[in-house]
Amino acid sequence: MDEFENRLKRDAAEIRAEVSPELKSRIDASLRATEQIRPVPESRTTGMNIWWASSLTGLAAAIAIIVLINWNQPATAPVPVETVATHTVPVMPDDSAELNPPLLFKTADFASPLEEEMIRLQADIEKARESVKNDIDFTF
Amino acid sequence: MVTDEQLVEDSLAGSALAFSELVERYQERLLRYLVTRSGNRADAEDAVQDTFISAYRYLYSYNPRWAFSTWIYRIAIRNAGRQSRREVSDVTDIADDGAPDPLEECIVASERENVWLTAKRLLNQDAYAAMWLRYVEDMSIKEVARALDKTQSWTKVTLLRGRRSLSSELAESASAAAQRESYGRI
Repeated sequence: MDEFENRLKRDAAEIRAEVSPELKSRIDASLRATEQIRPVPESRTTGMNIWWASSLTGLAAAIAIIVLINWNQPATAPVPVETVATHTVPVMPDDSAELNPPLLFKTADFASPLEEEMIRLQADIEKARESVKNDIDFTF
Repeated sequence: MVTDEQLVEDSLAGSALAFSELVERYQERLLRYLVTRSGNRADAEDAVQDTFISAYRYLYSYNPRWAFSTWIYRIAIRNAGRQSRREVSDVTDIADDGAPDPLEECIVASERENVWLTAKRLLNQDAYAAMWLRYVEDMSIKEVARALDKTQSWTKVTLLRGRRSLSSELAESASAAAQRESYGRI
């Protein structure tokens, strides 16, 4: 221990900190009025029960959502109107025309089966959403 | 001599005397630290009382892997922190009227300034607590870090900076005192 550490210790000892009899009696009185908290040992069966209850609730909720969505599925989904648009970009007279070929674009064909499926799904989701909203309005 | 850990076990088993013995062992040490920290004896006494109540209530959560002193200081430091936050929120405008630090009243009169007064002036509360626990309570770096809820690296760096800062301040004040003395002789 060096001189610095000795001084820290010595100076700390110079700080008066006698515990008064009043403080002692205050502490004793407050300890008598305090009860120790004792943790309740958690039983293994309680934990298992909670696990089962939460699992079953989750499963039931998932089934309910699937049924709710499928219940209101329409017999025929609206078929989207096929639109094919063609835009022709006029070729501007430019000196750099030789370097840049004239631009001619055709929009993508939206009549693909995936697109139809997506639109059907969107319609289903919208119906399910409205159905849930109606149910909620009805409940509250 | 019965160890602190044994007294904790006895207290958990229902012995009121065992906890009284722990109070007896730590009340003065805690009060000394809390007086220097708060600078107000009444607040320090309240903090000591709160510390023992919390310790008694949550004694089951004490982990004997750590020294009891580390655990009780941890509670005391938290209580003191909460108390000082309350004081700051209660008194928003503290006028600096040049009044002396109340801690000075608790220090035995001496020709030179108590090093803990200097430390209180120079260091923040965490650094001050780290210095106190390390050099007054002789705790290891690991225990200091645990008591303050900090990392060991933080503790090492803080102690090093605190030491350096205090040493240079003490050296400056010593040279100033020597100069004054030599002027006095002339």
